[in-house]
Amino acid sequence: MSHLRVENLSIAYRDDSGKEAFAVAEANLAVARGESLGIVGESGSGKSTLARSLLGYVRPGARISQGRIRLGERDVLGLSAAELRSFRGGRAAMVPQNPLSSLTPHLRVGDQLAELVRAHTPLRGEVARKRVHDLMERTGLPDPDALARRYPHELSGGQRQRAVIAAALIGTPELIVLDEPTTALDKTVEARVLALIEEIRADLGATLVYVSHDLNVIRRVCSRVIVMRNGRIVEAGRAETVLRAPQSSYARALVAAIPRIDVPAPPSAATGAPVVLRTSGLSFAYPAPRRLFAAPPKTAPALDAIDLEIRRGETLGVVGESGSGKSTLAALIAGALAGHRGRIQLGDRVVNGPAAQRTPDLRRRIQLVFQDPLSALNPTQTVAEILSRPLRLYHGIGLAEARDQAAALLAEMGMDAEMLARRPRQLSGGQQQRVGLARALAARPDLVICDEVTSALDVTIQAQVLDLFLRLQSEHGLTSIFISHDLAVIARVSHQIAVLEGGRLREIGPRDRILGAPQHPYTQKLILAATGKRSAEPVDIDAEVKQLSLTL
Amino acid sequence: MPADLSALLSAPSGSEPPAARPLARALRSPLTVIGLALVGFHLFLAVFAPIIAPYTISGIHTTGLTPPTAEHWLGTDQIGRDYLSRLMSGGRVALLVALIGVSAAVLTGAALGLLAAYRGGWLDDAIMRLTDALMAVPELLLIAILVLTFGKEIWSLAIIVAIVYTPGVVRVVRAKTLTVAALDFVRAAELRGERPARIMAREIAPNLLGLISVEFAIRCSSAILKISALSFLGLGISQPTPDWGLMVQEAMSVVFTDPWFLVAPAIALSSLIIGINFAVDGLARAYGVTGAGSEGLA
Repeated sequence: MSHLRVENLSIAYRDDSGKEAFAVAEANLAVARGESLGIVGESGSGKSTLARSLLGYVRPGARISQGRIRLGERDVLGLSAAELRSFRGGRAAMVPQNPLSSLTPHLRVGDQLAELVRAHTPLRGEVARKRVHDLMERTGLPDPDALARRYPHELSGGQRQRAVIAAALIGTPELIVLDEPTTALDKTVEARVLALIEEIRADLGATLVYVSHDLNVIRRVCSRVIVMRNGRIVEAGRAETVLRAPQSSYARALVAAIPRIDVPAPPSAATGAPVVLRTSGLSFAYPAPRRLFAAPPKTAPALDAIDLEIRRGETLGVVGESGSGKSTLAALIAGALAGHRGRIQLGDRVVNGPAAQRTPDLRRRIQLVFQDPLSALNPTQTVAEILSRPLRLYHGIGLAEARDQAAALLAEMGMDAEMLARRPRQLSGGQQQRVGLARALAARPDLVICDEVTSALDVTIQAQVLDLFLRLQSEHGLTSIFISHDLAVIARVSHQIAVLEGGRLREIGPRDRILGAPQHPYTQKLILAATGKRSAEPVDIDAEVKQLSLTL
Repeated sequence: MPADLSALLSAPSGSEPPAARPLARALRSPLTVIGLALVGFHLFLAVFAPIIAPYTISGIHTTGLTPPTAEHWLGTDQIGRDYLSRLMSGGRVALLVALIGVSAAVLTGAALGLLAAYRGGWLDDAIMRLTDALMAVPELLLIAILVLTFGKEIWSLAIIVAIVYTPGVVRVVRAKTLTVAALDFVRAAELRGERPARIMAREIAPNLLGLISVEFAIRCSSAILKISALSFLGLGISQPTPDWGLMVQEAMSVVFTDPWFLVAPAIALSSLIIGINFAVDGLARAYGVTGAGSEGLA
């Protein structure tokens, strides 16, 4: 007898043109008590809409056009508004993606949790406080009494997500719906939160529905999985089976697109090629905020004595988590930040200061590709305008010739010349990022810096962009610095790998050496988190506390 | 990834351009249509009133105030002039003053706001403190002082509107520029070594156009109201020019005996204001302009 049962559920909404469209179409599900079901799909697949409807929620403008949802004996869609209120947070709970927006910023964490305890249980006063303390302890929050007095912004990302999970546990729910709960977290923090979720499921015997775009994560927490696309369930089965031998063509593509750390190395560049970029002792500290009547506080350096060397035709992968200084490194070399110490050398030229102080030729030779393609492309310009500008500026060619070359660049990126007339918002995410790459290549640079260029993309689109990058590498001998938080992505494209942590270079070396025989414990931890093997070490709360005190 | 699969993947999901027809979408809302119709009607009247009005605005037909008759649909005013003809022309001056004054305010305000936000530093401080100073003076007091300084001619009134409305535009445009300037395409232009003037004109300004249009329309409606209020108080347009604010003021003494003298100009004025506001509301929503200066809403 299944615990959660969805029968023939369709959720309809009106799109921009007023036509009725289906966010979820004829979905059927059955999950046994205590089982964990993964819902995987890309943006717009309807996975979150389906997951939220399990708690009787549809967003304004959408409606459930047919079907039933049952949890145990309860008909979820038949609940009255009052019944729904006690159902949510009681028998069923939700853990949303962004913990910061689901915690009230002006209330202390302990007070918010206590309020929920009073709303969903008969507990009051000290007993309610005690329950909050126990839940915080249960979710692995260090020193619950001290943390309870903090405001949400004073917690680290991992701690916030633990606090939200604690809130979900208040009513001892039978069903917990988790919507991308770890997507905003660093990989090593994610691994610990996933371990906690698995532990809680086993403890409470709760039924778990886990939504994610990341098949690696689903594999770690779910026994069964459904794959959604355009509102339909295209495949369902045991997680291991679906991941190992997917049946539908879409699931096959999705599985094939998962970045894996054990991929073959990119074809290596010629050995002994000249050095394109060299940094020595490169350091940077963000200026301390000006304070009235007080000495400026000392700030920790964002980058500390970085020595790098990149040879022609080579890709240096820089991996690190948030706050590691990897984007600062990109900004310094590209010239977006002023005030570095140490030396940046491009070929035989010393690069001094930010872009405004560099010669036009130096600016041309180093190009940056940005993380968020929608922010990197001017929404009021057409693709033709976006690509023509660097062509005309750097190579002094005429309008017509620039247009021809822009079309050629697009073709190089696997895009039609008719896209030249489009504006960024009329392109898909993958196409936007291709245009971003094309704009950088238009300069015919010596070095391309890619700063998390695939992080904003769906996994199948990411795979296409990475394929394109590999093709550019082999056909054009692209020299680049490729920055990512994702070691699997780095493993796919890099010849050399540099590991950054807290502004320091922990390890640098040839790809196979770093992946195969990592020397530094932090590299080992990253590799463990990327391969999904659970590390033997206990949950490292000290590190999280340390990270927090740094951010405070 | 196998070729057939990538073809399969790249085909549908979101690669089609979204139906980019904001105007058609706006026209689906009845309120927007009503608003546009009202604005069109008033603009038509303002331009053609002298031609289509039954009488001239200054011709004297009776010896004093008369109620509506077959010859004079809205009667005649205290001096015996045809009220309908005067009503039809009553928005012309206010509209003209508002259009000129607000255009000047939006142009200078946008330029200053853009400059303050993008250049920053002492220029930002100077511009913003100046705006603060202007905004610190109670509006009516400021207008009264300016009227006493510049006089009540059409051009003086337009200059006064420009001075009063510039600070608000500066603030709104500055705030929007700060958001736009934080986007990566501005960073990309800086890394290319583009001159600041070009970055402001080519990269940032086009992204402000939606906001600026909304600002213009909303502040026009506010300015028309304000000019009418000035005329009502005797600080704005004066006789013999017909003006709704002035007409309301003149009708005050006969409001209990001949209420249509008050009601007619009041309806004319509010239908124009409501029309502008409905139209702006609908268009702004359809074109996705948010955070527009609702403070400008009268």
